[in-house]
Amino acid sequence: MPSALSEAWQGLPADAQDAIWFVVLLLPALVTGLIVTRGYRPFGLVRAMMWRYRWTNALFIALIAISVGIGVGLIAQERGLRKGTARAAEKFDLVVAAPGSEVQMLMAAVYLQPVDVPLIDGPTYATIENHENVSLAAPIAYGDSYEASPVIGTTQQFVTHLAGELKQGRMFAGLEEAVAGARVPLSVGDTFTPAHGVGDAAEHDAHEGYGITVVGKMDLTGSPWDKALLVPVEGVWAVHGLASGHAPERAGQIGPPFDADYFPGTPAVLVRAEQLWANYALRSEFTTEKTMAFFPGAVLAGLHSMLGDIRQVMSVMAVLTQVLVTAGVLAGLVVLTRLYARRLALLRALGAPDRFVFSVVWSYAAALIGAGALAGIGVGFAAVGAISRVVTARTDILVTATLGWPEFHLVAGFVSLTVLLALTPAFMALSRNIITDLRA
Amino acid sequence: MGLALSVRDLVVEGDRGRELLRIGALDIEAGSRIGVRGPSGAGKSTFLYAIAGLIGLKAGSVTWGEEAISARSAAERARFRRERVGMIFQDFLLFEELPALGNAALAASYASRSERERITGGAADMLARLGLGDHNERAVDTFSGGERQRVAVSRALAGDPPIILADEPTASLDRTAADRLIEDLADLAASRGKTLIAVSHDAALHERMDRVIDIVDGRWTGEA
Repeated sequence: MPSALSEAWQGLPADAQDAIWFVVLLLPALVTGLIVTRGYRPFGLVRAMMWRYRWTNALFIALIAISVGIGVGLIAQERGLRKGTARAAEKFDLVVAAPGSEVQMLMAAVYLQPVDVPLIDGPTYATIENHENVSLAAPIAYGDSYEASPVIGTTQQFVTHLAGELKQGRMFAGLEEAVAGARVPLSVGDTFTPAHGVGDAAEHDAHEGYGITVVGKMDLTGSPWDKALLVPVEGVWAVHGLASGHAPERAGQIGPPFDADYFPGTPAVLVRAEQLWANYALRSEFTTEKTMAFFPGAVLAGLHSMLGDIRQVMSVMAVLTQVLVTAGVLAGLVVLTRLYARRLALLRALGAPDRFVFSVVWSYAAALIGAGALAGIGVGFAAVGAISRVVTARTDILVTATLGWPEFHLVAGFVSLTVLLALTPAFMALSRNIITDLRA
Repeated sequence: MGLALSVRDLVVEGDRGRELLRIGALDIEAGSRIGVRGPSGAGKSTFLYAIAGLIGLKAGSVTWGEEAISARSAAERARFRRERVGMIFQDFLLFEELPALGNAALAASYASRSERERITGGAADMLARLGLGDHNERAVDTFSGGERQRVAVSRALAGDPPIILADEPTASLDRTAADRLIEDLADLAASRGKTLIAVSHDAALHERMDRVIDIVDGRWTGEA
């Protein structure tokens, strides 16, 4: 492309570029249509053909619609899931943990899928907390649960960082108080006893005698933290019979600063710096023999880029599946045009030009494909909504997928490809013997 | 005005080279009304399709007026039918989902822009003349057999062609409807000077023709 043109293209808004792409992808279909029907008016006959075998035609349209709908639905869903997981990780600038798998720790600290890891000890935590560039350091002490909700020990500052102002109630201020995520089925004032561990392996009577009261509720964050119960990390330690995190003379204190000598440990630490550059500096500083530091966003981006390849494969497979379904439909069309064979033979007997008969058959096929593709977009919207709800319910990551330009591009490409394929049944209709069909 | 037909040394073969029709010399005057008679399977319809240019000939020639259509390509013969021939079939062959006018003016959907209006106007005139003028927009699947065949006749005559070819036009009709159709066809052909060739078993139809030719075993055997 000449550079002026290339620059003009780059200067266009993204939506304009997408719209142009859409038209370009649809162009083969439009041009074929114009060439095939030029000078003729086949649409009255096409309408009549559609109506004559309306149930058969409706079935064909439904088949195309479902295959297109599922294809675009899955692709939109994948994008929605990527956005959802990225949004859920947004608040986690830098995570420090014991050396191990970044992906595992990402799953544990950000998405609350707990995993056993060595703890960060008191002196290490103190180094992090007291670093001049660190504006917020908070332990993320997971491991306990109440029913389906993980119980996470942390600090008041982290709660505010995660969800902003509380939606209801107040911040926890004592060992036996908790702030609940928006989707936890507990109200302010309810009391619960945490179980040791999570899921099926949880020991429900391990912490018997501890009653924790919900004193506040967070706003919706669209992340698994909506299902979490946040308690002071000192509470978690107390429940497990560990030190309080503070020297004996300040034993009742909630929140930082912690005392390195009395710090029982935490599996992960969230670290935040005011300056972007400082985050990078902190990462290299905390990448030591005893600790690993990583950007959850970067780990996620790595996962996504790996998934990106899968997405491309998926897109190709989605198109292929749709084309296969359409090939099946077109094979059906060849059979279907036999139903119309007598009427087509009549047209030719009356002297209709071959190109007119061709245009009738092709327009009929194109109408089925076009209607199927349009209905498929409807199916896609419905499918995306339904799948999003399921994924959100299963993962607690808010997925708000909707059809966008990539899906419309896919549909446009699909329509162009298949209406070109539809030229075949049209040619085949012309190769039939007029007299044989007339007498049928 | 109708066109004269001249057939010379016509041979039509079917699958595997079986001879279906052989006619040495047949001349039909422009504007005459011809009945074609013969037993079933004798080759009457084959004769009609051959002179319509729907079948490729093994040998011989079919000439309408000055135009030897047998020497033309299939596409040119289609153009000839489009411009010069109106065809009528035993079971009407209408598009049931289209209204009467849509069927009668069918040719307008593939005619050149300048012809469309003339054909649609002609179709409406014909429907009116055949007593269906109030039913232009009614779907033909609500019509009786007699009415359907009148729609088919309107379709054949919408473009005012000089030639009308009819294949058993009354065979699917009851006697009353058949008589009315014969009347209409014969009158229209006579008043407009069309060359009408009708293949039929119907003696009532033959009576209204100027001339009846017999085809037996694929041969033209003589005239009544």
